[in-house]
Amino acid sequence: MDYFTHSLAGAIGLLASFDPAIYQIVLTSILISLTASIIAALLAIPSGVAMALNQFRGKAFAQHLLNTLMAMPTVVIGLLLYGLFSRQGPLGPLGILYTPTAVIIAETVLIFPIMMNLAITAVNSADSRLVPTLISLGARPIPLAIQVIRATRYAMFAAVITGFGRAIGEVGAAMMLGGNIAGSTRTMTTAIALETSKGEFQLGLALGLILLLFAFVLNMSLSLLNRSNYD
Amino acid sequence: MTDAYRLENINVSLQQKDILSIDHLVIKAEQCTTLFGNNGAGKSTLLKLLAFTHRPTRGDISLFSQTVSWPLTPQQRKRIAFVEQHPFLLPGTVYDNIKLALSLQNIPASQHHALIKKALEETHTAHLLKQNTQTLSGGELKRVAIARAIAYQPDILLLDEPFSHLDIDHIEALETLIKSFSQTTGKTVILSTHNHLQGTALSQSTINLVAGKVTSAPLENRFSGYLRQQQFFTEKLVIETTSNLDRAQQLAIDPKQIIISNQPLESSMQNCFSGQIIFISEQATTCRLIVDCKEQFHATISLESLNTLKLQLGSQVYLSFKSSSVLVF
Repeated sequence: MDYFTHSLAGAIGLLASFDPAIYQIVLTSILISLTASIIAALLAIPSGVAMALNQFRGKAFAQHLLNTLMAMPTVVIGLLLYGLFSRQGPLGPLGILYTPTAVIIAETVLIFPIMMNLAITAVNSADSRLVPTLISLGARPIPLAIQVIRATRYAMFAAVITGFGRAIGEVGAAMMLGGNIAGSTRTMTTAIALETSKGEFQLGLALGLILLLFAFVLNMSLSLLNRSNYD
Repeated sequence: MTDAYRLENINVSLQQKDILSIDHLVIKAEQCTTLFGNNGAGKSTLLKLLAFTHRPTRGDISLFSQTVSWPLTPQQRKRIAFVEQHPFLLPGTVYDNIKLALSLQNIPASQHHALIKKALEETHTAHLLKQNTQTLSGGELKRVAIARAIAYQPDILLLDEPFSHLDIDHIEALETLIKSFSQTTGKTVILSTHNHLQGTALSQSTINLVAGKVTSAPLENRFSGYLRQQQFFTEKLVIETTSNLDRAQQLAIDPKQIIISNQPLESSMQNCFSGQIIFISEQATTCRLIVDCKEQFHATISLESLNTLKLQLGSQVYLSFKSSSVLVF
């Protein structure tokens, strides 16, 4: 226990000293996760709304597929993308393996199904009169989708935050595709894994505290969003 | 006069249960039509079909003699306005809601101000312009929804139970609005209500809906049951009919066709039941009775007969009617 308290004090000391190495890692994490979240949101929200608003053959199957993708282990996504981006892989010539781009792509692939599913749920759980009302007021497909997103914006924002939370805490794919290169692809999670295995428990704990803080802030904003949703 | 709507072989079913089933129905343009029916009779479903917010399971609906294919053209959409029984307003202000409707209908922004002002004045909601829709009362919400509907100057106004949630002053104001709208050249109003008096006063024609079917039968003396060999079995009575419509589930008798007597009548009338008068209401020249003979029957007789027969509450009477005056459907 003494070891734990001692390390905790050391970790807080590290954070308070504003060690540039730590903040470089935090910044990399945020940049990668935020970029991935924005790209995923731009793809997932329109797709989710389109899927929720339209009836088509194979919709139930598409929904099952989406649920399966949500449950896919991150190392499997890492593995598949590694195969794509590695030197011998089909996209090898692009040379993006072990770059932030590769990690961003992996995180995007990872959180897209989550965001799309939450976007579908957002539309389905909106007031059942919303869509018929907009249609009777003359909304064509694109304006209809825009107004539906507007009316469900809190739930959509919650979907983005959930995706961001998942991306920033992800370690498997980030490690396999980023390679944990200091100053480039070293994120909080990969750094914790590395530092702990090196025996640098204090640094790992310091980064862990920041991750926890992120989780707290994200959940807090989610519950605030939920509240404003029902006001 | 042209037809606003023409419905052919319409069926709406949900989980294999028929909610609405209309073989043929024409609704005239440039007048006010009222849909009557009890809860669950299919009034709202029919209005949703007419608003083209729901598609029938099968059947065709034509609008102003044009066959409608989905999705509707913007021109067709703009001709129809629909106010649901519990209207939905989008988040934002009253102004935002009406403005959005005008934009969605592709009305040039330069006309928005004048149209919004006009619609709000006609529905007496001008003071609510900047109010957030979340803070409106039930009646205000309804009036704002009507303002939003008439703002883009549709040709057809569909109103589902427009008078519910309104207090007496606003009911009168809305009646005036509906009258003036339907009297404007080229405008059609179709509204649903279960208030017979109000509906009849407002409209030039009426449509009765019973259990998802259009019927010319009066809505009184209606019983559910089944028909076997011209005999209709309600839960408690057997009524003689002249119908062979074996899938019939409803029966109705015009209250004017029922004859009340103190003694059983020897006549050609096949239906004769004894019962007790449980309700008497005198109107101008007629009198309405409710007689309980296991099932309750409404009968209309003249004030004179009421006096001659010395009818009172609790009197034992006989009621008779011809099997041919029974409508089965």
